Amino acid sequence: MRNTTQKGLMIAFSMLVSAAMAASVQEATELFIPIGQSPNLSNKVTVMGTIESADTAEKTIVVKTDSGSATAAITEKTRIYVDRSRRNERNRDGTFEDLKAGARVEVLYEGRARAASGLAEWVKVEPPSP
Amino acid sequence: MKMLGVAAVGSLAVLLLLGCPPEEPTDPVDELVERGERLFFEETFEGNGRTCGTCHPRENNFTLDPEFIATLPDGDALFVAETNPDLAKNFENPRLMRRLGLILENLDGFGDLENTFVMRGIPPTLALRTSVASGAGPRTGWSGDGAPGDGSLRAFATGAVIQHFTRTTNRIAGVDFRLPTEDELDAMEAFQLSLGRQKDLVLPIELKGEAGARGQEIFLDRTLGKCSLCHFNAGANGDPAAFGPQAGNLSFDTGVEALPDQPADLTGELVPPDDGFGRPGNGQFNTPALVESADMPPFFHNNAVDTIEGAVAFYNGDAFNNSPAGQVLAGATGSGINLDATQVEAVAAFLRVLNALENIRQSIELLEASGKTRPTERVVSRTSHEIDDASRVLAERMLHLDAVGVLRRAKAAIEGRPPQSAEAIGLLREARSLLAEGIER
Repeated sequence: MRNTTQKGLMIAFSMLVSAAMAASVQEATELFIPIGQSPNLSNKVTVMGTIESADTAEKTIVVKTDSGSATAAITEKTRIYVDRSRRNERNRDGTFEDLKAGARVEVLYEGRARAASGLAEWVKVEPPSP
Repeated sequence: MKMLGVAAVGSLAVLLLLGCPPEEPTDPVDELVERGERLFFEETFEGNGRTCGTCHPRENNFTLDPEFIATLPDGDALFVAETNPDLAKNFENPRLMRRLGLILENLDGFGDLENTFVMRGIPPTLALRTSVASGAGPRTGWSGDGAPGDGSLRAFATGAVIQHFTRTTNRIAGVDFRLPTEDELDAMEAFQLSLGRQKDLVLPIELKGEAGARGQEIFLDRTLGKCSLCHFNAGANGDPAAFGPQAGNLSFDTGVEALPDQPADLTGELVPPDDGFGRPGNGQFNTPALVESADMPPFFHNNAVDTIEGAVAFYNGDAFNNSPAGQVLAGATGSGINLDATQVEAVAAFLRVLNALENIRQSIELLEASGKTRPTERVVSRTSHEIDDASRVLAERMLHLDAVGVLRRAKAAIEGRPPQSAEAIGLLREARSLLAEGIER
């Protein structure tokens, strides 16, 4: 009887908390963290380089890195942050239009691993100097 | 043997010649914690003057409340929105800060500073080693998503600097602040993890007072209080029997936001709804530890309730019982939570006694860590605060007044000239024995 009750509780509560099992990351302040400085992500799981090409139709970018190139798909969920901190200007949220060839970028892939999906969770982009 | 003796004499001679006393070997973990402590309380990150300790002061359980805020001078960095014209708008609400201890956060983004923000209390940085881990990764802050980067406690300081330390609301790294370095993040994480309890209690414990003992029974009873389902062992983690062995810290929508007549709303100030975890939020907030909660009012993420009794009573009300968490609880256990006033008082008494026991444990630990040397002023001060907290949390409800008397003697011993550590430790143990049996640490 006790085991049945416990099992029922476990199922009910598992349903309750399943919605909360998303990654527990604060997105808001990420906007203001310059390329290469995201704690525990930059230089560990993100990809950094320059945009080699951007495909507006497919919504993908190819990033040239020190070790080759990587493709990232930009989805509706992808956050794009325009990093202007080296110009001493306020960073802002961006769109796919900000992802231009030659721009310096950092990409965090969904699942925190490039091979996992190819889908970008966020992209930080520093526009080329005017 | 003789050779060793010669070598030892030789070493001593060299040390004497060099004028250096032999040094105790240093523990790299201790050094990291000490560095983290200095950063936590002294480093402004070239921002507006605030440090981590501005909102997490050591002398107030690493949190803020209106009573403590009222003791701060107007020039304190906490009030930077009142003194720095660049932060006068959309950085803090000074009225809500001073009256209710609420801090402004832009968890849903910085695009519309005028209207998009939440007002939250300051969670204490105690017992974090027991409360951050969850099956879905680390949970920090009130809604679990307090840290940028990978969401870890180590990354938390980076987000805090951006949100709270900035010189202007432009928040430009390198202009309005500097971000913590990797080494600094390591050190501050180590310091925060060193604070408070390092492990969860194991309930039940043998309590001596009738009210606290009955409160513990209700707390643990899955058909009555049901508290331990989400606050297993009065900590911050879910009961493994209900949520699985890896559940850890969990988030729920318990309906706190649905409370009527919240103090912040009554002020007439703009206080947008707080949607909790995520962006946009799902209404969920993570479960706080209860062991050290009773002496840290106000309660809940929005400082909505002033007493631990009120916090327990919250779970009787419509706000909780109609909430998603309340509804699932009722479905899983056959009913909502419906405690009578005497039962609310008993559960609160239990939490007060747990709190006092933790204050005593910390006091003894601090004094014992000083060894046989005279405790530093900082240790005396912290111990004194802990003893004050224990005394107050019991005396406020006339609980264990015999123990309160002993605690006052312990405080007098530690504040003596010179401090009487051994006597204080003995008295603290005596006070603890008046609260519970069988607790050695």
